[in-house]
Amino acid sequence: MASQGEPQEADAGGVVISLDNVCKRFGDLEVLKGVSVEISRGEVVCVIGPSGSGKSTLLRCINLLEPPEQGRILLEGQEITGKAAAEGVDFVRRRVGMVFQQFNLFPHKSALENVTIAQEKVLDRDPAEARAKGEELLRRVGMGEKMSEYPDRLSGGQQQRVAIARALAMDPHVMLFDEVTSALDPELVKEVLDVMRELAAEGMTMIVVTHEMQFAREVAKRVVFMDDGLVVETGPPDEVLGNPREERTKQFLGLVLEH
Amino acid sequence: MDFILEYYFDFGLMRDQFGPVLEGFWFTVKLSVLAGILSLAWGLVLAVLRQLPGKPLAPVRGLVIAYIDVFRGVPLLLVLLLVSGFLGSAASPVGGELLPRSIGIPEWFGQPSPFWYGVIALTLTYGAYMAEVYRAGIEAVPRGQMEAARSLGMSHGESMRNIIVPQAIRKVIPPLLNDFIALMKDTSLVGFLGLTEVVQAGFNFQSSDFNGSALVLGALLFLAVTIPMARLVDRMISRDQGKTQRGAASDRDSDIQPSGPPATGMAGA
Repeated sequence: MASQGEPQEADAGGVVISLDNVCKRFGDLEVLKGVSVEISRGEVVCVIGPSGSGKSTLLRCINLLEPPEQGRILLEGQEITGKAAAEGVDFVRRRVGMVFQQFNLFPHKSALENVTIAQEKVLDRDPAEARAKGEELLRRVGMGEKMSEYPDRLSGGQQQRVAIARALAMDPHVMLFDEVTSALDPELVKEVLDVMRELAAEGMTMIVVTHEMQFAREVAKRVVFMDDGLVVETGPPDEVLGNPREERTKQFLGLVLEH
Repeated sequence: MDFILEYYFDFGLMRDQFGPVLEGFWFTVKLSVLAGILSLAWGLVLAVLRQLPGKPLAPVRGLVIAYIDVFRGVPLLLVLLLVSGFLGSAASPVGGELLPRSIGIPEWFGQPSPFWYGVIALTLTYGAYMAEVYRAGIEAVPRGQMEAARSLGMSHGESMRNIIVPQAIRKVIPPLLNDFIALMKDTSLVGFLGLTEVVQAGFNFQSSDFNGSALVLGALLFLAVTIPMARLVDRMISRDQGKTQRGAASDRDSDIQPSGPPATGMAGA
């Protein structure tokens, strides 16, 4: 009991990630001004807001690509910020997968190698096992036919699906999506969102920074609206998107939903 | 006019002196290849050390930067003279025999000590040049590559080794080859230490015969190697540019999303 204490305790409350008054600045620019959010296991949270509102920085703080200056982040009950940040980095990166706006596939590796390399280097899986896992995941995201292709031979949508498979190969407990469809041609957006829908349906805990309001409405259990480094409003999508309380949310939605 | 032709292109002399000149050139080739390989490795070590992250490692970065500044800013000949003078002295009674003779005055693999002084000086200097080339390559790899690798749980070192450096090296092979050509020409400075490499061999004949044909022969031997290398560099660069212009939506040009039809057309599910 005691040896497995941490994850068990975390499960009891159902909270996987909790942010408490997280602040981040770049030089003089205060990007996050004290953000507090909790995410439960299996929850899909969509983060929306104008550009520059700190959405992406929030994600990057969660996996410590940008360590926050103030505030606490707990992952599965364990603090990963402050004094714990040194060990926190490994702890987080083994549990949290991230998908980027620009895909960031490794251009000198084939699709399959992109999905296997970290399994081998980080998880010490033997090549055959990593390969089997990689092939399974690539088939799952509909890339079974393109496993040996290099990224520059793939469309943006295909690259992004490989990037999702690459993150999933590490068996993450939580997936972070940073505007993953923003760099895609419109006709390629759906294939990526479909993969994410499927993931959500399977019960993956997901934090999704997005401009796809339809996706948020359909898939999110909760929507977080951010502006100017703060969480302005949070709640079920029907409320936040359908009937926002805050003036700033209304304004933003007015601008986004007009077209 | 005849004098000019005779002075530079006395084919009879060239034929007679071909043996010794070629022997000198063979020294040049051995020296270039060995110093070239060592500079490539030493330069990469310097470049990677320079990229180490975090405040505690700032002194390491500072030392590397100072090293590169010094060795890029000082003539190779000066380095060569300081290296040979110090090592030679340190192994002699003059220097209190600080070094064993076999190290201070090395004659490894049957090569004379000036050869090894040359290898050391060339590596010290060209390591610094090549470190700068590698650095340009490393910095040209988009930041997202390191972030993606780190987000998958790789350490900084693993990310550099598996993701960043392999991409960087691909980008910098042409400039590294250029540096190698420069290195090869600079091996002639070892003549100052009494090693009869190709330029020294030619110069000896010029001094005794008052005729430069042996030097011209040496030049031709150089060109036989350097011109094909220069063409190879050109071809690699133009091939690389072709690739970038074709540019599907790859990571390389992640900021500029090429929206042209080839990218999607080519992949076309």
